[in-house]
Amino acid sequence: METQKFRNKLITLFAALILLPLSAAAAELSPREIMEKFEDNQRATSNSALSRMQISTCKFGVREGKITCAERPRVKSLESVGKGYGPDLKDTKSVAILLEPAAERGIGMLSFSYDDGARDNESWLYLSALGRVKRIASGSSDDETEPGSLFGSEFTTEDQDTGKLDEYTINVLEETTESGRDVWKIEMIPNEERARKSRYSRTVNYIDKERFVALKVEMYDQYGKEIKRMLGSRVELMNDIWIARSTTIMNLVTNRLSNMAFLEMHTGIEVDDEFLTQRTLTDAAFRETELEKLRAQID
Amino acid sequence: MRKTSIVIGFAASALLAAFNTALAQDDVLVLDDDVQFDADADFGFDDDFFSAAFDEDSSASNSSWLDDFTIKISQQFSGQINNHSVDLAPGFSLPRKAELETNRLGANIRYQNAFAPGWLLQASAQVRIYLNDDYQYRAEGGSIDIESRGNEFFLQRSFDQHSLKLGRQTVVWGETSGNSVLDVINTTEFRDFNIIDIEDARLNQWMLVWDYFGEDSNFSSFVNLYPEFNPPAVRGSPFFFEPEFNLTDYDRDSSLLLEAGTQWRKSFRGSDISIMAAYLYENQLRFEDPVTLVGDAVAETNDFFLLGFSANRAIGKLLLNFDLAYSHDVLADSFSFPGTASLAKPVNLKKDQIGTSMGFEYAISNEQSVSLGIQAQKLLDEDEGLLPGQSLINDGVFGSWLVRYSNTLMNSDLVISSTLQGDLAANSLLALVGADYTLNDNWAISGQIINISSNDESPLLFFAEDVRLSATLTYSF
Repeated sequence: METQKFRNKLITLFAALILLPLSAAAAELSPREIMEKFEDNQRATSNSALSRMQISTCKFGVREGKITCAERPRVKSLESVGKGYGPDLKDTKSVAILLEPAAERGIGMLSFSYDDGARDNESWLYLSALGRVKRIASGSSDDETEPGSLFGSEFTTEDQDTGKLDEYTINVLEETTESGRDVWKIEMIPNEERARKSRYSRTVNYIDKERFVALKVEMYDQYGKEIKRMLGSRVELMNDIWIARSTTIMNLVTNRLSNMAFLEMHTGIEVDDEFLTQRTLTDAAFRETELEKLRAQID
Repeated sequence: MRKTSIVIGFAASALLAAFNTALAQDDVLVLDDDVQFDADADFGFDDDFFSAAFDEDSSASNSSWLDDFTIKISQQFSGQINNHSVDLAPGFSLPRKAELETNRLGANIRYQNAFAPGWLLQASAQVRIYLNDDYQYRAEGGSIDIESRGNEFFLQRSFDQHSLKLGRQTVVWGETSGNSVLDVINTTEFRDFNIIDIEDARLNQWMLVWDYFGEDSNFSSFVNLYPEFNPPAVRGSPFFFEPEFNLTDYDRDSSLLLEAGTQWRKSFRGSDISIMAAYLYENQLRFEDPVTLVGDAVAETNDFFLLGFSANRAIGKLLLNFDLAYSHDVLADSFSFPGTASLAKPVNLKKDQIGTSMGFEYAISNEQSVSLGIQAQKLLDEDEGLLPGQSLINDGVFGSWLVRYSNTLMNSDLVISSTLQGDLAANSLLALVGADYTLNDNWAISGQIINISSNDESPLLFFAEDVRLSATLTYSF
């Protein structure tokens, strides 16, 4: 018994010595704090923000050892306005209007997403063909539904979601490099309740230590198989926020990928609460006037 | 019939193959679905592929007046492909031969320009060219016919909490998609059995619409300055039957017709509700025989009051819809088959009517959804005023139901849907299977197959056992 105790102490000491450098680095920030800072950074990109984005989706293949599109990508461009609400501005109201392709021009979506897991997100869609605003039931990542796709792309509401960190076990696996940058390799495992609502049983996030941007995220299904991989590139400082201006998500099951390019992002602008209502979907004269006011703040 | 299907199927396949070849990139190894990636493999990604997006970063400032236009050009073929006959009465049957019904080239043009702060001009129009073997080509004696129609044309002024729209436009009420009892403000024109965009079927009218956007709720009111009516069936179309007397438009003389209504709408957590009231004219004119039994049929209008309530409730993946309509002084017998008129001698009584449409939409997954809508109406005190031996065309509860399933595949590029629609009395059934495939940002192709079943209690008897196949190729820019 004494021998066993001694061996345990020795193992503990040995383990402590091995993990000392990692613990020292993480001593400044806990895994939870790293992810909080990462999410704060992510949230800042949509708080009082006007963005113009392009989402390209294609079937992918391999050329010269690199993943690339095997077909001409389908491209959607959209303009989005968002604002934070609630405690610590963790709730978000946003409007996204499709600018291209021509066949979908003018389709608008109003979304209210709530940090509180007990509260369902709400979405309304305006289709000119329908002639009215329609409430959308699916696509909420906070209820029992499967996460919804973002405008038919490989990005889902879950991939864009922030908050709910309480529902994860967060571990720093190692400190390493990714794309030439020092990163924390952080594993997030959802608790039982979150796992029921998630497509992923585990994600591994490569968070830039200096800029708190995800350079790579691996997503695993319940069988431990990697089903999606997200890559962040063109990391730039936009309006004092570090952002991966080009984010690509690869679906390793269907071999389709989507790239989201942030063409413009302006934060710290004053967004009138009335703009984030159903009026923006139906009243095009109001919408264009308010968008001009927002653009004027940038100029 | 089989030959026609094969030819159309082959043409569609060839077209798809041609597009796929045109869009494919050279020297790319296309991987099989569900290929296994080594978890440790750090496969590179050709990020430069998307760098062009950033090169066009200043595109917002390169706007052109052409950006205000959206144009859709389409070519549609459709036909009845089942050779059969319909037994209308003992010893009398109507032969239904397989034939092409539509072969038409169309263009829809939409213009939207917010030309000054708070101001917007919106207009849309459509042009159709009826080509060889289209029923309108045949009705024109075998010559190509061109038809154009203005749809929307309105000027909008938005200021403070208000928005005013003056011009040709539509107003849509009700939550239930497709068959709401409250969606009665716009006149409609359904010429064919093909499922067309509802915006093509709804006809715009000259209206003034005032919207007030309050802090907690909204009001929307309209005045229809020149109420119009459902147009009669176009000669040669599947719905056209030679009337005994010529059907003409309503003779307005000097009479002033106006419609007006208002709706209050409020959103709650997980729910939206609306209450509405309107003074309207029935969209379907009632045609009566000329007094001398010579000349044109006499078109009669009927005005009525509508009170309505609608609500929805989202519960996770489920969206419940409910519409309720109370109509005061509707004609007990007004022929209700859309886009056609009847010379049957209806009972000339005004009644009150209560109607509801309700249903649900359920998202099975992000890709699949199923919806159900039931519309039911009933005339109140239906026997009151009837002479002995008289009966109403619609007695008891009448209405329709609709079930739709859709599956979205390939990042929404392919949508497969099936629809079943029938009447509550189970006299008719329309089954539709359709597929819409988006080839790229400009091109799309769609196909439908529709089968109709009916017994002799339904006006759809004339189309019983019809099988229609259609294909539409669309280019949008």
